[in-house]
This record gives sequence, C-alpha cells and structure tokens, in this order.
Amino acid sequence: MIGWIITFLTLLVIGIAGTVGWKNLSKEHEEARNLALNSVDFTRLKDGTFTGIYGGGMYGWRANQCQVTVTSGRVKRIDLIQGKEATGKTATQPDMLYERVIHAQSLQVDTISGATLTSKAYLQAVENALLRAQTE
Amino acid sequence: MAHRAYGVSAETCLADIQAAAFRLEAQFSRFNPQSDISRINQNAGREPVIISRTTFEGLSHALSFSKRHQAYLDITIGPLVDLWRKSRETGEPPEAAHLRQALSRVNAASLVLTPGQNTAWLPFPGQSIDLGGIGKGLAGDHFLELYQKHGIRSAYSNLGGHVVALGCRPDGSPWKIGVQHPRQPDCLIGLVSVEGKSVVTSGDYQRFFTGRRGEHFHHILDPGTGYPAQSGLASVTVVAESSTAADALSTILFVAGLQTGLDILNLHPGCEGIFVDQAIAVWITPGLKDTFIPADGVMWTIL
Repeated sequence: MIGWIITFLTLLVIGIAGTVGWKNLSKEHEEARNLALNSVDFTRLKDGTFTGIYGGGMYGWRANQCQVTVTSGRVKRIDLIQGKEATGKTATQPDMLYERVIHAQSLQVDTISGATLTSKAYLQAVENALLRAQTE
Repeated sequence: MAHRAYGVSAETCLADIQAAAFRLEAQFSRFNPQSDISRINQNAGREPVIISRTTFEGLSHALSFSKRHQAYLDITIGPLVDLWRKSRETGEPPEAAHLRQALSRVNAASLVLTPGQNTAWLPFPGQSIDLGGIGKGLAGDHFLELYQKHGIRSAYSNLGGHVVALGCRPDGSPWKIGVQHPRQPDCLIGLVSVEGKSVVTSGDYQRFFTGRRGEHFHHILDPGTGYPAQSGLASVTVVAESSTAADALSTILFVAGLQTGLDILNLHPGCEGIFVDQAIAVWITPGLKDTFIPADGVMWTIL
C-alpha cells in the first residue's frame, strides 16, 4: 500500500513539475513567436557599422548580438558577433536568415514594372514570405 | 490594375480613374465590337469612321511614334496579331503565305486621320489597328491628367506591369519601382527610384506560347519579319516622363535591339533605358546611374 502511495506521489510531483515546466517552456516559445519585428525603412539607412543586441527572452536563451554594415545606404553585411550560433552549438543558420534580410531590402518597392501578375498579388506573396520568415 | 493616390481628394479621384479605365477600354479594345478601334477596323477599305476625341488624340499620338519608328512599331499590326493568336491555339507558327499576306496589310502610314472631323480611315480591306504596344501608355497619360485635375501630387498607377508615377511618395522620397527579372518569376532584376516618371517594361516572358518543337514564341512582333522579335534582348525598361513614350519606346527598343535601340533612345531626350540581354546582363543608360539599384548578383554596365 505504502509502495502505491509513494508511486502515486512521485507521479504527481513529476506531473506537476512537468506541467509547470511545459507551461513555462510554452510561455518562452510563445514570447519568441510573438516577438514583434518592426518594419524597417530601408530607404533611410545611414552608412556605417551598427551593433544590435537582443536580450534573449525570459530565460535569455535566444540572446544574440549582431553587427550590420551599411554602405551607400544599403545593408551590405550582417555578422553574428555573440550568441549560441556564433560558437557553432546549433543547427540554426542565421547566415541564411541574414542573406534574406539583405535580399529583402531590394523588395521594398512601391510597385513592379513588367510583372506578369498584378503587382498587388505579387507584393502580397512577398509579404507572406517575409511573415513566414519572421515566425519560422 | 492598381492605383494609389495621396491627398484630400484621393478617394474621389480614384473613383474617376476607375471610370476612366472602363471608358478607355470601351474605346480602345479590339475585343469590344462597339469600340472606336473595332469600328475603324470593321470599316477598313470602306469608309472613314467618326471616333471620340480621346481616341482621335490617342491615335494621333500613337501614329506619330509609329510613323517615326515604323520598322519597329506599327499600330496597324492587327492582321499579324490575329494570325499569331490562332498559332497560339495550334502550337504551330503561321504559314509563310499567310504571314506574307498579313504583312502586306501592315502599314501605319496609310492610316488617314482627319482633324476637325475626328475621323479615322484604314483605306485597304483587311487592315486593322492593334494598340497593344501603346494602349496602356495612352491610358497612363490620361490617368496622370486626372490625378493632376484633382490636385493630387503623389500617386501611382500600375496597369498590369506598366507603371505611371506622379510626383514622389507622400514623405517626399522618390517612388521605388521594381523591375521584373525576365527569367525568374519571383525576382527583380533591380529597382529604379523615380519622381514623376513612367516605368514600362517589354519582355519576351510576358506573353508567349511554346511551339510543338519547343520553340518560344513571345507576343512582341517584329513588323518587318512578321515573327516575334529576336534582337538578343530579354527585356527593355524605359523610364520617361510621358507614359505613352515609355510604352511605345519599350516596344520599339525591344524589337530594335541594344545598339539600334540606343540610337533611337538618343532621339528622345529625357528618356532612359534598362536593357537586359539574353544572357541576363543588364545595360543602363547614363541618366539612370544614380537611381538604378541592381538586385544582388546581377551583372550590370553603364552604357
């Protein structure tokens, strides 16, 4: 009988700890998912090298620091200077993400000449792709 | 068709623009049997037709480009367009005899426009006008007038890839117009910043069909050969103040090719060009050197 009680209590503790842990983990993920990315006006960039820091959310798991180089008003380089990825401990590829940002600046157009689709639908697709890039 | 206008009367202006778009379509379309253009075509070889003032002015403007560069743009190209439209269905290019017959009817210089009476006359049976290479341009200039009439200073219209920009963005910065990559559907070849300019692109990728033997037949016809133009270019973008000029010149330069195209462009001060050849190398005229930004990885040269 005591054995059963101990087993039950152990399972209960594991269950509560698991639930609390899962909730916090979800909260952390939720926070990361809902991270608001403000749209940047790529037409008004000053030349120079700028450092950006992100604290990394409630546990600091996603903390990172990057350096952005702007030449002739365009983003030419983005380097990760601090963060897990900089030490090679993760499978995430920030370089690919940065490539996308560098490429995206050329998509900040009002409308497109020569597009076979209507421009609005075209830009909508681009916008959707960018939104996906933000949440993935 | 997409329009954007900023200013107090933007809403009423856009309603006017929509109405004008329908009106112009009803006057210019070859597919509407009641349109001015259709009536001129139906009466080819018979009698002059009274047309609206808008159509008369548009035709006069189009005709001046057509006469000046008849080897590359001809607004009486209708018989050839019809022939190739049938080919699209069969997948076979038109027969040589049919092409010769259609070509013999293509001659914009024969179109008789009589000012005062507002009449147009095609003197030979079988002739027909097709405004494909210039119609959107005429509509664009019409829209520009409407924007200005409503006191709008910041607006743009995109007529299926034909961009007309008025003034600059509401914040005073230039409009940024993307230029479609001729080979990658979801990419730009670059972008151009403009204030009060039209940006028009003609390319072999816009409308085409693939023949039974895998040939690529695009929609920009060479009025000299009767075949889709093969000048070594994949696309040409013209930046000009006049929407009609940008439209006409993008077609003319595409048919003429890079070298001849440059000579033609020099005859039209204030007009600039972005040429993309079949190897997707980009050539821009000097006037665009500070306003054109190529997409990453694009090879480009200032002419």
